[in-house]
Amino acid sequence: MGNLRRLVLDVLKPLDPSIVTLVQLLADLKGVDGVNISIYEIDRRVENAKITVEGHDLRYDEIVAVIGENGGSVHSIDEVAAGKVLIEDVVTPQD
Amino acid sequence: MPVADQGRRFERLAQGMDDMREYERIAGFLQIARRALANNAFDGVLTMIGVLMGNYLGGVRSAVTVIRIGIATSISIGVSGLWGAYLAESAERGRELAELEKISLTDLSDTKIGRASRVAVVVVSLVDGLSPLVSSMIVLLPFFFVPLIGSIILGYVLSLAVALVGLFGLGMFLGRISGRGLVGYGWRTVVAGIVAIVINALLPLD
Repeated sequence: MGNLRRLVLDVLKPLDPSIVTLVQLLADLKGVDGVNISIYEIDRRVENAKITVEGHDLRYDEIVAVIGENGGSVHSIDEVAAGKVLIEDVVTPQD
Repeated sequence: MPVADQGRRFERLAQGMDDMREYERIAGFLQIARRALANNAFDGVLTMIGVLMGNYLGGVRSAVTVIRIGIATSISIGVSGLWGAYLAESAERGRELAELEKISLTDLSDTKIGRASRVAVVVVSLVDGLSPLVSSMIVLLPFFFVPLIGSIILGYVLSLAVALVGLFGLGMFLGRISGRGLVGYGWRTVVAGIVAIVINALLPLD
């Protein structure tokens, strides 16, 4: 099976633990080269985060487990990329 | 013990400390525990002042009797602190967690947040229970030395002195938390002890 290189997740998580903690925990995982978390909506107790993970061999289950352990729940998988090279989304005339 | 075993034990200890720091960041129990420590230790000392004054004015002149009554009282206020705090804190934390679970539509009991909540309940309950127990036992300490001192009256005087010094120390602790004058806070708590002693002494019960 091709190695997973990019994962973009829509996650609802409590404000604590903060995204500073979460991003470092995700970055420590095996096969991960870099992580970005951006918040696009914030509530009194929870926040919606877009988590982008890139690497040479991502382990989806481990990533979701770390998010879950920190109280987050994955609402949707918004983008994935796998294979020898990273392919970006192609803009077509229909877009 | 082999070096590797020692290393692993040290690693586990460091991991445990890291976990506690993380739980404190999530559940923020240190401030509550600190307040409980000051409040309940203060309760413990003042309760013991009451016990001492009651024994003295009631004509108790046996150190063993004073120790027995004192320990029984200490245990009761310790159990009261532990039980009360456990029930109140677990109800409050449980409600908070349930609210968060409802918002996030996730079962959080087996996550860092759930564990932090449970650790907070245990830490606050232990501090609530142990602080009055320890503080009141310290006040009682001179009575263990009555056979050496040779005078039960001196035992009472020393115990009350320990209580007032303890109150001064607690006041200084509160002063340090508030970032204001240590001595000023110290005297304020001592006055509470003196007021308790004087009211007990002046009660026309005989």
